[in-house]
Amino acid sequence: MAENNNAGEGLRRLVHDVDAVALGDRTSYESGTLTVSADEAAAHFTEEALGQVRLSWASPGESVRIVKILDAVEPRTKGPGGAGIFPGLLGPARPQGRGETHVLRGAAVVAAGFLPRAQEAVVDMTAPMAELSPLANTHNLVVEFDPPPGVDWAVVSAGLRQGMLALAAQLAGAALDAPPDHEETLPPLRTSAQGGRSGGGQDGLPRVGAITNLQTQGTFKETFVYGRSFTGALPTLLGPGELDDGAVVSGQFGHPSLKNPTYLYQNHPVVAALLERHGKDLDFAGVVISPEPVDQVGKELVCAHAARLCADAGFDAALLTKEGGGNADADVALKMDRLEELGIAAVGLFAEMAGPDGTGPSIVVPPNRATAMVSTGNYDEKVELAEVERALGGARVALVDEPATARMELPTAAFYGALSPLGWGRLTCGETVMRTAPS
Amino acid sequence: MTRVVHYLNQFFTGVGGEDAASTSPARTDGAVGPGRKLQALLGDDFEVVATVSCGDDYAAGEPKAVDEILALVKDAKPDVVVIGPAFSSGRYGLACGRLAAAATQAGLAAVAAMHPDNPGLDEAAGAPVVRSGEAAREMGPSLETLAAAVRKLVAGEDLTDAEGRLGKPARRNRVADENAARRAVALVLARLGGDREATEVPLPNFDQVTPAAPVEDLSQVTVALVSEGALVPAANPDKLESARATRWAHYSVEGRDSLPSGEFISVHGGFSTVAANEDPQRIVPLDVARELESEGAIGRLHGEYLVTAGNGTSVGNAKRFGTEWVADLRKSGVRAAILTAT
Repeated sequence: MAENNNAGEGLRRLVHDVDAVALGDRTSYESGTLTVSADEAAAHFTEEALGQVRLSWASPGESVRIVKILDAVEPRTKGPGGAGIFPGLLGPARPQGRGETHVLRGAAVVAAGFLPRAQEAVVDMTAPMAELSPLANTHNLVVEFDPPPGVDWAVVSAGLRQGMLALAAQLAGAALDAPPDHEETLPPLRTSAQGGRSGGGQDGLPRVGAITNLQTQGTFKETFVYGRSFTGALPTLLGPGELDDGAVVSGQFGHPSLKNPTYLYQNHPVVAALLERHGKDLDFAGVVISPEPVDQVGKELVCAHAARLCADAGFDAALLTKEGGGNADADVALKMDRLEELGIAAVGLFAEMAGPDGTGPSIVVPPNRATAMVSTGNYDEKVELAEVERALGGARVALVDEPATARMELPTAAFYGALSPLGWGRLTCGETVMRTAPS
Repeated sequence: MTRVVHYLNQFFTGVGGEDAASTSPARTDGAVGPGRKLQALLGDDFEVVATVSCGDDYAAGEPKAVDEILALVKDAKPDVVVIGPAFSSGRYGLACGRLAAAATQAGLAAVAAMHPDNPGLDEAAGAPVVRSGEAAREMGPSLETLAAAVRKLVAGEDLTDAEGRLGKPARRNRVADENAARRAVALVLARLGGDREATEVPLPNFDQVTPAAPVEDLSQVTVALVSEGALVPAANPDKLESARATRWAHYSVEGRDSLPSGEFISVHGGFSTVAANEDPQRIVPLDVARELESEGAIGRLHGEYLVTAGNGTSVGNAKRFGTEWVADLRKSGVRAAILTAT
């Protein structure tokens, strides 16, 4: 019994901390310093439609703003040449999540620039952004590109994605021979020990897993699983190591604050929080990934299917996350209701859309039966940014029609990952008492 | 003596019902209609010096209405502005909510009254609003609540639930001790431990909309096309937002049989607009509507379409657009609308 699925082997992370970065003649990692050859890095972007590719670093504390952010990837590799990392896109489309994976923690490869359906996504590397974006806390190797007129934007997007993954693998490859700063072990995926629920987990602990909805709304708003668009798929069960090894890669550029970058699939915060309690308060039950269909019939089908899959996999409880705005609320709410009907406790992570003054209704499509929700903050609240010295990703911020370096006020919705549906951030909403007299 | 200026709609000042809903703002001296009862409740320390009135369609549908109303209010030099009660009337409520917000913003003491489900509550932007009944049959108790609130307000005291203060507390962003993922795990463990109440987000209490009665004979009425598909003239002259819309626009289709590709585009941020831009009529179906019009299936097609972008739009703004659209369409004699959604 138990220990019987997915070959019973977990994943070992060999973590190398990145404390400092530089550009140099060759790419190397030594004593926490990652040096990158811009020429070597640019050579990964072979797609002609990208035009000239530029690379620069943006590090925490620098007076720099990154605008038009598209995706971020954490440098990782399983061995020379990637050795199977990012399966289906860089490595062969075979199940991953076992063995060893080298991680350059503290660095990210970030693409920034214009794509037609992308919404303006902004990060400052200075205060107050550290609480508002994971990328304000990492050394970012920013990839800018310069497509010629008349280009096919889908080709640009695919070329960027391929280049970023190859670059991420190459950077991590520089640390293959370095002793890791930390080692972390992820357990293998196990279905229910007793084949049933209610304390059916190891040591009688409740089995708690995640349901992670992936946005699937067509080109530039889709997500890749083992290299294939997940649009039209049915929910499926993954182990944590598969996410670590890049089985899920973002191709979604809408709703900046509600976006799940590849970086956060590699470092899934809900999975991390569950694993912290694994074997103590709960038995980790796995990750069900589900598409977010655009039509009601599709939503109801995948929600019922996901709930059934959780029941079959022996979940006692599930934490649900989404990607996107109000439309995606429906996918979380429907699943929460279906789960509760099957006796599986459901907690949903929601961003609030309560209007700029915070007094509007928060959730566009709330659940009917389930009630337990965590707030990742209010989408509409304004935040003021100071002027910065330089900007990457574009010359202007289209949302406010200002130079990209200018002082500006933006809604929280514009900050990359600020309301992270995957639970990265500490932002939430508190209620303030109104005054009646004019101030 | 505390000077009170009272705001009422055209109905309660006796100008007329729906036939007079497009009446522009006007002021009369002294208390009118329910204002007399308000005067009696407030007593001799207060004087209702003027009553400002406006038709509901004008007040809710005309962008400059609130400024015009506020100007008339200010001219009467009020110590306190008393607004409504609007009960559950949507257009009247919008006007009351906006006036409460504008007067408060201008530094005047102001309080409005309406039913908790009135969309005007969201327009008050935190300005004081107290509870009223659902309909005018509850005028008496509603005015008593309002009068008590006026006395408190003038005394410089805060209004609370006890005075019927409406409006939920503002939800403001703050930084929690743990990230959302860890808080979610704590919440699910609490739930598995038997706590079925715990949540960080109270369930919203959406009102139920009763559908209008079916139109008896479509061949006799004017029908409008309205859309959240963000279809605008190619230059986007009103700068309609592609996401988080705060406004809506209207464009003429008078004398047009089609919306050609290139002349109209969708600026919607929530879907690929390629197909929409190849044939804008798949967002606003003017071609089919004109066919129905020439066949006599509908009486007449309204001369313009109303449009916003439904992408990340707050429920509060969406409710306001809906109420404003109703005012605008009613003013034009439209009896039915086809809302295309993307």
